[in-house]
Amino acid sequence: MQGLPLSFVDVEKTFHIKGQALTVFEQLTLDCPGGSFTALLGPSGCGKSTLLRLALELETADAGSILVGDERPSAARKTGAVGVAFQDAALLPWRNVEDNILLPFQVLGTKPPDPEHIGKLIRLVGLEGFEKARPEELSGGMRQRVAIARSLATEPRVLLMDEPFGALDLILRRQMNLELQRIWSAARPTTLLITHGVDEAVYLADRVIVLSARPAEILADITIPFARPRAPELLRDPQFHKLCDEIGAYLEPQQNQTEA
Amino acid sequence: MKSRHDTLGTAALLLLILIAWEVAGQLRLVADGTLPALSAILTRLFAERSDYWPHILATLETSGLGFIIGNLIAVAAALVFCLWPIGERLLRGVNIAAFAVPPIAIVPVLVIALDGDVARITLAALLVYFPTMTATLAGLREVDPRSLDLVSAYGGGKLKALLLVRLRAAVPAIMSGFQVAAPAAVLGAILAEFGSGARWGLGTFLLGSLGRGEPDRLWGIGLAATAIAGVGYGLAALAAQWTTGRNRAVTIAPPPSESTSPQVERWRRSLLTLIAVLLPFLFWQMLLLAGDLSPIIAKTPLGVLDYLFFSNASPSAQSRLLQALSETIPITIGGMFIGLAVAFLLALLSFATPVVMRALLPFALVTQTMPLVALTPLAVLIFGRGITVTLVITISVTFFAAFVLLAQGFALIPRPAFDLVDAYGASTLQKLRLIAIPASRKWLFVAARLAMPKALLGVMIAEWLATGKGLGNLLNQSRGYLDYGMIWTVAVVSVLVAIALYQLTYTAERLTER
Ligand SMILES: Nc1ncnc2c1ncn2[C@@H]1O[C@H](COP(=O)(O)OP(=O)(O)OP(=O)(O)O)[C@@H](O)[C@H]1O
Ligand SMILES: [Mg+2]
Repeated sequence: MQGLPLSFVDVEKTFHIKGQALTVFEQLTLDCPGGSFTALLGPSGCGKSTLLRLALELETADAGSILVGDERPSAARKTGAVGVAFQDAALLPWRNVEDNILLPFQVLGTKPPDPEHIGKLIRLVGLEGFEKARPEELSGGMRQRVAIARSLATEPRVLLMDEPFGALDLILRRQMNLELQRIWSAARPTTLLITHGVDEAVYLADRVIVLSARPAEILADITIPFARPRAPELLRDPQFHKLCDEIGAYLEPQQNQTEA
Repeated sequence: MKSRHDTLGTAALLLLILIAWEVAGQLRLVADGTLPALSAILTRLFAERSDYWPHILATLETSGLGFIIGNLIAVAAALVFCLWPIGERLLRGVNIAAFAVPPIAIVPVLVIALDGDVARITLAALLVYFPTMTATLAGLREVDPRSLDLVSAYGGGKLKALLLVRLRAAVPAIMSGFQVAAPAAVLGAILAEFGSGARWGLGTFLLGSLGRGEPDRLWGIGLAATAIAGVGYGLAALAAQWTTGRNRAVTIAPPPSESTSPQVERWRRSLLTLIAVLLPFLFWQMLLLAGDLSPIIAKTPLGVLDYLFFSNASPSAQSRLLQALSETIPITIGGMFIGLAVAFLLALLSFATPVVMRALLPFALVTQTMPLVALTPLAVLIFGRGITVTLVITISVTFFAAFVLLAQGFALIPRPAFDLVDAYGASTLQKLRLIAIPASRKWLFVAARLAMPKALLGVMIAEWLATGKGLGNLLNQSRGYLDYGMIWTVAVVSVLVAIALYQLTYTAERLTER
C-alpha cells in the first residue's frame, strides 16, 4: 500500500472574524508525491494547522484545488486512507486509551483490528499499563502519544501530523522520531509533519518547507540529502547542523522580510 | 472530591436551618403559625400515615409514568432536532406552546378529551417534555468541536457524530434535564389530580384539606410530594455527578462556531416562522376533530377568534383581556429577572462554596415541588395579597430550573481554565468574572428560556388564588361562569405571551454575541 499523493494547487483561504478579513493563503501550491515525507515549518499563526485542516476538508478553500490521490479530501477521508494527529490531542474524555484509539474504526465503520494490533501501537508509544486510563488521568505528553497511536492505527496512506511531539521531553521526542521513521519506512505513507523543531524536521523528512508569516508563502523548499535509515548519530553530524542552521535562518524575522 | 470537612459543614448548616425552622414554628414567629414547627408537621404526618399511603402511591404512579414517557419523547425529539435543525424551527411553536400552556387551564379540557388516568399522565409528561428537551438539545450542540473534527477527519457524517460523540457528551445535560423534570412531573400529576376529580392522589388529598386551614396538614402533603420528587431528583443528580467528571474536557475548548448552522434566505426563514406559528393551531384543530368534542366546550382556533372579535360578547371580552394583560405582563418580566438573578447568585454561591449549595438544595427543591396551589395559601398568609406575594411565588417557581442549569454550566468548565488563572493568583471573584460568567453565558440563556413560561405560570397561579388580578383571575372567574370562550382565549393568549417573551431571549442572546 503505497502512499497517495497529496497536492495543493493555488489554494486561497481567508477567514472572516467579526467582519475582519484574515487572509491565510493567497495562492499556495504544494505537491507531496506519494510516499514522500514533508516537514512544514513556519512562524506561529502562519497557517500550518489551517493547511492540515484544508487537507482534511475540515475547512473549505475559497479557491484552488486540493487532492488526496485523485479524490477530494472529503471523499478520500471516507475510505480510511487518511490518518491524523491534531495539534491538541482531541481525545474523547469519556473513553480510555484503547477505546480512543479504536474510534477511527468505528467512524469508518470498518472491522475493529485485533487487540494485538492496538497493543502493539500502545507499546510503540510507551503507554503499556495505561490501556484503561482516561485522558484526564494522563499527562499532556501521554495524551499526545495516544493521538499519535490513533493516527497510525488505521495504517493510513496519507499521514497528517500537527506538532505531534510538541509536549514531549527531548529524550522521548527522539525516541518517537525514531519510531516514526521506522513506521514510515515500512509502510511509506505520504506524510505531512508540522513541527517547530528544525532538527526534527531535518532528521525525519525528505523535504522541508518553510512558510512565511501571513499570508503564507513558501519561503524555502529544501531537499534533505541524508540516506535512510537515519541513525541517531546523524543528529551530531556537522553536515546535519549546517543544514539546520540554514533552515533556521529562514525562520528569523529579518530574513523573512528580505526573502519575501 | 468532597472532603470530610465539607460534608460536616453541609450537615451543620442544614441542621442550623432546621433548628431555625423549628424555633420559628414553636414560637409562631411567621405570620401567626403559618409556618408550623417541623416537629409538629412530622408528628401529624406520622399520625396520619395510613391516610397518606394510597394518595402517595397514586401520585407516584402518575408522575412516574409521566416522567418516563415525557423524557423518552423529549430525548427523541432533541435527537431529531439536532440532526435536522429545520425540524426544531418548524416545531418551535408546538414546543413552546406545549410547555407554556398553564397546566391548570388545560386540566378541564384534558379531562373532557381523555380518560382520567391518561389525562393526568399526559399533563405530567407535558411538563416534563420541555425542560428535558431543551437541556438535551443544548447538551447535544455544546460539544467540543475538536471531537467533531476528529469524526469528520475519518469521514464520519452527522449520524456518526451524534452516535459516537454528541450523545455521550450530552449525558450530563440530559441528567440535568431529568433533575428539573422530576419535580415537574410531580407538579403536573398533582395539578391534574387537583382538577380532574381523581379519587386518590396527593392533589386530591390537598384539595380535601385546603378548606380546613390547617397549615401542618398542608405542609405535610407538600413534604410528601417533595419526597417523591426528591427521589427522582436525587437519582438524576447522582447520575449527573457520576457522568460529569468524565465529560469535562481536558483542555479549554473554543465554543462551537456559529457558521455551522446553514444560512437560509430571508423568504425561507419567514416561511419557516409562519409554519412554526401555524402548526400549533393546526394540531389544536386536529385534536378537537379527532376527539369529536362539543364546540361549546371545546373551542377551535376559529371559535376563539369568533368569540374575541365577532360575537356579542366581544367588546367586553376584549376590554377584560386587555386589562388583565396590562396587569400580568410587567410582573411576569420583573419576576423572571429577579428569579434568574437569584438563581445566578445561588449558582455562583454554590460554585464558590459547595457546602452552601448542598445545604440549600433541599429547600430549593421544596419550593419547586410544594405544589404551588398548596404554597400559595401559605404564601398569602405570610406576604399578604399584594404584589409581593405574586413576586415571591414567581421567583420561587422560576429560579429552581435556572439554578440547576447554571450550576451544571459552572460544573462543566474545564479545570485547566481555573488552574491557569489560579497560577496568576486570581481571587474567587476574578475567577468568576474571567471564566465562570463567560463560560456560563449560553446556559444563562437556556435558563432564561426555561424560566420565561414558568414565570407566567407562577404569576397566573398567584393571581388565581391570591391577588384577584390579571390573566389568572380572569381564567378563574371564567371557570366559575362557565365562560368557555374566555377560558380558551386566556389559554391561547397566555401561550402567545409566553412565546413572545421566549423569542425575546433569543434576540437578547444574539445581541450579546456581538
Ligand atoms: N476557524 C478560524 N476562524 C478564524 N480564524 C482562524 C480560524 N482558524 C485559524 N484562524 C487564523 O488563521 C491563522 C492561522 O492559524 P493556524 O492555526 O493555521 O496557525 P499555525 O501556523 O498552525 O500556528 P501554530 O504554530 O501556533 O499552531 C491564525 O491567524 C488564526 O487566527
Ligand atoms: Mg497550529
